[in-house]
Amino acid sequence: MAIIKPATNKIEPMTVFLSVPPRLQLSHLLAWILFGWATSAAGASFTDSLGRELSLEGKPQRIVALAPSLTEIVFFLGLGDRLVGVTKFSSYPPEAEQKPKVGSYVNVNIEKIISLSPDLILGTVDGNQPQKVALLEQAGLPVFIVNPRTIREIIDTVATVGRLCGVSERATALADNLSSKVDEIVTRTESLPRPLVFLQINPKPIMSINRNTFLHDLIQLAGGRNMAADEPITYPRISIEEVIQRGPEVILVSSMERGGDFEAARQQWMRWPLIPAVRNNRVHLIDSDLMDRPAPRVIQGLEILARYIHPEVEWDH
Amino acid sequence: MTEPALKRPLTRSRVALLSSALGLLLLCVAGVSLLLGTADISWDQILGLVTGEEGQSDYARLILFEIRLPRILLAGLVGFALALGGVIFQALLRNPLADPFILGVSSGSAFGAILGIVLGFGFSIGVPVMSFAGALLTIAILLQISARKMGMESSTILLTGVIINAFFTSIIMFFISVSADAKLHSMLYWLYGDLSQTKFEYLLFIGPVLLVATFMLYRLSGQLNLLTAGEETALQLGVEVKKTKRSLLVLVSVLIGTVVAFSGLIGFVGLMVPHLVRMMFGADHRLLIPLASLGGAAFLIAADTLARTVISPSELPVGVISAFLGAPFFIYLLRTKGSQWDRS
Repeated sequence: MAIIKPATNKIEPMTVFLSVPPRLQLSHLLAWILFGWATSAAGASFTDSLGRELSLEGKPQRIVALAPSLTEIVFFLGLGDRLVGVTKFSSYPPEAEQKPKVGSYVNVNIEKIISLSPDLILGTVDGNQPQKVALLEQAGLPVFIVNPRTIREIIDTVATVGRLCGVSERATALADNLSSKVDEIVTRTESLPRPLVFLQINPKPIMSINRNTFLHDLIQLAGGRNMAADEPITYPRISIEEVIQRGPEVILVSSMERGGDFEAARQQWMRWPLIPAVRNNRVHLIDSDLMDRPAPRVIQGLEILARYIHPEVEWDH
Repeated sequence: MTEPALKRPLTRSRVALLSSALGLLLLCVAGVSLLLGTADISWDQILGLVTGEEGQSDYARLILFEIRLPRILLAGLVGFALALGGVIFQALLRNPLADPFILGVSSGSAFGAILGIVLGFGFSIGVPVMSFAGALLTIAILLQISARKMGMESSTILLTGVIINAFFTSIIMFFISVSADAKLHSMLYWLYGDLSQTKFEYLLFIGPVLLVATFMLYRLSGQLNLLTAGEETALQLGVEVKKTKRSLLVLVSVLIGTVVAFSGLIGFVGLMVPHLVRMMFGADHRLLIPLASLGGAAFLIAADTLARTVISPSELPVGVISAFLGAPFFIYLLRTKGSQWDRS
């Protein structure tokens, strides 16, 4: 797993400070205060998850986010006003809807992006085609690709994007806060028995997720066992027969809509009281926006998931 | 074409014999299919079911009769209808490439279904109704066009179908390209065909339509034989060509629209099964219609059984199996027996 961290040729203020003779310390400190901050942000070099080097002059002010999750991360870092372009379906936070659109995340509009003259483009390994990234680079635009595969890596991505944008401290604090929420859930559930959880991501055909997804990671962290973990296919079609045979204790339906679709899916399950989850009335809806996107809100999704999987725990908030 | 199969003696008993043989095969395939699946059903449990023993058999009864059986029956009915539709259209249009979807009924149904998915309709009633409405719309357009001055020539009908297909396909592509990820799977799998989540209620709807349509189509099979000998010949032999063609078109289209509404688009069966049967048993429609229908049913049940067991517990779309295994068999028959097409 590629962990994204900035490359080391950034000036480290502390080393400079310690390596100089004592006599010069004060003036160096002053110099560092005057120039050091600036240099540590300007001309910094970063390595993205594809191992590409990226150097940035100054703090990016015109950011284009090529996935709804990246839009959420930028807003989460309080940098929404620096976003000049987002992709279709970037629906959160609501302000994101007002931003200029640069196409959908699997099919971005290169001309539109170039016309926005961004000084940082954030992309994902999954969504953004390499040819298009190459085109953007030919146009001399800095592209940084992220690839979070687990919840912890999502949190790392938040910190990384923060460093890229020159708000390291805030980003670290926010990331630490997210991490502690995850830690708390893990501590409270890890000693409990792990119920078998069936997560349904599509109503027809019935589809689930295997261990290569961060949805699987969410179920694990929330103290459950993913029923489809060992399927050979990442998003397998699952038969009703298989669900009845395995008898999950909790069924979670990830859905965009709270209305018809979900109610229909729930009714479908209600026909099979042989399944423990159905018998014990543990078929629940989860807002798919909280689960599907590798963005900070996934932690909210985790909290909801943990409550459904372990209702016996006294959750305080 | 001038030496039609009509002269070959085809006795009722031969039709009955071959049909019941194939019917028996169909029953066997369905029986085996019932026993295969993800869930392990032990012989003890099945025995318990047969003897009506209480207790453990609940689970087996649920899996066998409420999950596998409706699905097998749906696969059978869909395979039956598609192969039947294929036979009729190949004869009617005198074109070996014709299949039940050639008139654009499939794309009309798909348009309706995908519109239903976009609008957030449910999968048990809303989407099938929309799909069926789409099919009816296509048929209406088709009849409207062919009723105008262009007449009912095969080439006109074929071109009309192609163009209807192209038009609806463009709308479908539009919906797919602008839809949110969450609905994409549902749409694509509808287009691939999907027999899972079948309920008995579906069968109550399809069954009667299929029965009536099959009966009416079989009654027209003699005229179909004459039609394949050429329209002028048929006319001279007393066939009301235009009327017959029109009723065949409408009958098949309604039939296909009905099954597709519940199954999605399943290719290969409608095109290939008629050819397979023709290569094996000859081209007389009085024989071809029952054999192709029963064969289509058995074929699709077998394909669907593989689709749900081959990478179990995951499932594959049934279309993956039907063409993957069907095509090599088809080529084998084509090499050994020839297409039998020109002899019809």
